[in-house]
Parts: sequence; structure tokens; C-alpha cells
Amino acid sequence: MIKHHPSFELIQSFVNGDLPASLSAGIAIHADMCPKCQQIISQLTEQVAENSFEETFLDRFIVDDMSDFDDNNMSNNDLKFTDMIDNITSSEEIAVAKTKVEKTINFREKTYQLPSALHSMKLGKTAQIGKLSRARVQLDEGEIHTTLLHISPGGGVPEHTHKGFELTVLLDGSFHDEQGEYVKGDFIMLDSSHQHHPISIQGCLCYTVANDALHFTQGINKLLNPIGAFIY
Amino acid sequence: MQTNLLSNVTSAKSTLMTDKIDHPQLCQWLDDVATTRDKKAFTQLFQFFAPKIQRIAYGKFQNETQACEVVQETMSNVWRKAHLFDASKGAATTWVYTVMRNVTFDMLRKIKGNREDNLSDDIWPLAEQSISNEECFDDHLENSQLLSVIDTLPEAQKQIVKGFYFMEMSQEQLATHLNLPLGTIKSRLRLALAKLKVQLGDNND
Repeated sequence: MIKHHPSFELIQSFVNGDLPASLSAGIAIHADMCPKCQQIISQLTEQVAENSFEETFLDRFIVDDMSDFDDNNMSNNDLKFTDMIDNITSSEEIAVAKTKVEKTINFREKTYQLPSALHSMKLGKTAQIGKLSRARVQLDEGEIHTTLLHISPGGGVPEHTHKGFELTVLLDGSFHDEQGEYVKGDFIMLDSSHQHHPISIQGCLCYTVANDALHFTQGINKLLNPIGAFIY
Repeated sequence: MQTNLLSNVTSAKSTLMTDKIDHPQLCQWLDDVATTRDKKAFTQLFQFFAPKIQRIAYGKFQNETQACEVVQETMSNVWRKAHLFDASKGAATTWVYTVMRNVTFDMLRKIKGNREDNLSDDIWPLAEQSISNEECFDDHLENSQLLSVIDTLPEAQKQIVKGFYFMEMSQEQLATHLNLPLGTIKSRLRLALAKLKVQLGDNND
């Protein structure tokens, strides 16, 4: 059962459209698998929509300068809007409902279904190190890196921390760390105060978003720090 | 910025001046746009939504041209996609909000990252499905089959079937709304149902 969910603040920013594409997709993927969050999102969207459109706008648009008005008492903006209406309604074009397509991705000879939130995103080539494989999701969001990370059975990521945040959404399989077991659909948001050492016994596929390279914290693994940038 | 839509052509005054939203009215306008490409209904929708969209978009972009672009893009999506709006899945305001938020999101991405990948409709699909169990899925399938059969009806009958069963208007309301005698409504409905029975019977065999 899914135990880890996005915070309410995160869902709020998601509904408002204020999050970067990487995090928005992370929440959408989670919500696809989590009826509870899906419901919160639907209710919040309805509420935000209602609030956005119910306020009277007149107080903000009080006309105090009549000089721009012509005899018909129409403002420039009105004329612009009238043009816009004519322009829009002159189009005969009708949108066709998107049919649901399925897209898949392969890691180590295993085929996974690609979450629909990622369908239009460009994926880089798969690269491998040991039991880890990753494909970058090319979103061009500066320091934020988004990745599909595959861990083969028995693989793991050495104990590490992050200077920034690290989001993991488990797309398939399971893994565990010091905090417990994670299953398909879990939405795990960590920051620099967390250290962990995820291990996947059966193998898993994760969608990860991080805004800095990971930083290995223990003994000999510190030698791995140069590859921290590889993984996330 | 100046706006004085109240002086404009139609009498949307009552809708614009109150804090309460007349949801059935918005659905009706969307439906008119969907079924008859009704420009008057679209103008009403435009007058209700456009100034608010403009204000919200201005808050995000701090730029008048871009705010206008959001209005243009959102409202032309409303015009092109009105038939995809499903009143049983949520309010018209929620639907238009989703369209606006998606347009804004893609535009911001374009401005910030110069990316024209239009990801929003994948992240926030327009027909936001409510939580459903298997039963709902079955119903949904049956509905879509039913809908495609209804679409084969002559326009005059289709209108009445949709009004009666989907928008839950009474036969009397339909008569007033379509400006037809009550008897005509009744006979068209009877005819349509007879046809549907034949078709669905065929399909179910």
C-alpha cells in the first residue's frame, strides 16, 4: 500500500501550476496510482477554479479615465476583446479528443510502461554503472535533474545525502532503506537532513528529481562521489 | 489597464456583477458552443471568463501582451474543445481553469526555457477523471457506446435526447428552450428512443 504522499503545500502549488515540470510530473504520476491524492487534487482544483472566477473583477478594473473612450463608450480593451472573439469564432477547427496511447521503456531487457505524464518528454540514452541504469528526462530545468533510474535485483545506491532535495516516485518494484520499505506509487521527498542507503532486492524503476548531485557520506564510498552526478 | 465590458453588446450584467457563479448557465453556454457553434453563447462565456483570465495571467507574467496571449489561447481552446467538456465530470469553471492553467504552464516554460514541448496536457489531462471503481468503468464504457449511437441520430432528435437525458431538462423546458411545441418534443423523443432500442439491441447481440 502507498504510504508516502506529497505534502499539501506541494499539491497546492501543483494545482496552481507553480511547480517546475519535473515535480509536476512527479505528483501527476503519484496521483495516477493514488486515489486519495487524486481526490484531494480534484477537490482543490474545483475550489481554486471557483475562487478564481467568482470574485468580482470590477473593483480592480474601475474605469477612472474616460479619455480613451470613444462615443460608444468602449475601451481599447473592449475592442481588443471584440476582435479576439471574432478571430476565435471564425475558426472552424475542432479539437479531437486524444486517444489514450501506451508507451513503454526498456531497462535490462525488461519492459516498463511509461507514465502518461512523461509521454511528451524527451528521454536521453540509457547509461549503466553496475546494477544501476539511468535515462535522463530532458526537461532543461537548469540545476534540476530528472531521471528514470533502474536498479537491478540486489542493487542499491551507497549511503548518501543531498545538498538540495531528492524526490523519488517508485514506478515499479520496491526498495528499502533505513526508514523502511517503499512500494510502487510511493512519493518520497528527501532533503539534506536525510541520509539514506536504498537497496532493491527485487529490482525497481524510479522517477527521480534532484537539484544537486548526491553526496556519498561513508568511508570508502566517498571515493564514489564523482559518480554521484551520474546517478541523479 | 481599462475594461468596461458591461457596456458591451450583450447583457451579461447579472453574471458579472454577482459573487455567485451561475454554473448551469455556464454549462448551457458551453453546450451551445459545442452543439451549434453558437457565437452568442461564446461571447457570453468570453465576457464572463476573459477579464478574469487576463487579471490572473497578468499576476503571473507581469506583462500585458503575455496576459492577452493567455486569454486568446485559453478562449480559443474553449471554442475548439467545448464538445469535450463533460458536465458530469465537474464544473465548467474547473474545466476552464484547467485549460487556462495548462496554457499558462506551457507558455511559462516557453518563455523561461525556450521549450515548446507542451507538457501540460499530459501532466493535467483535461477530462480529469474522478476516482472510479470497476463499476464506474463499466458504466463509462457503456456510456461511450451509447453516446456513439446517439450521434447517429438525426440532429433534431439528438438535441432532444441530449437535453432530456444528459442535461436533465424537462420536456417542457426543452420545448421553451428550442421554441417548439411540446407535442413535437414528445414525438421526437419517442422516435429517437425507438431508434436507439433497435441500434443498441443490434449491438448487444
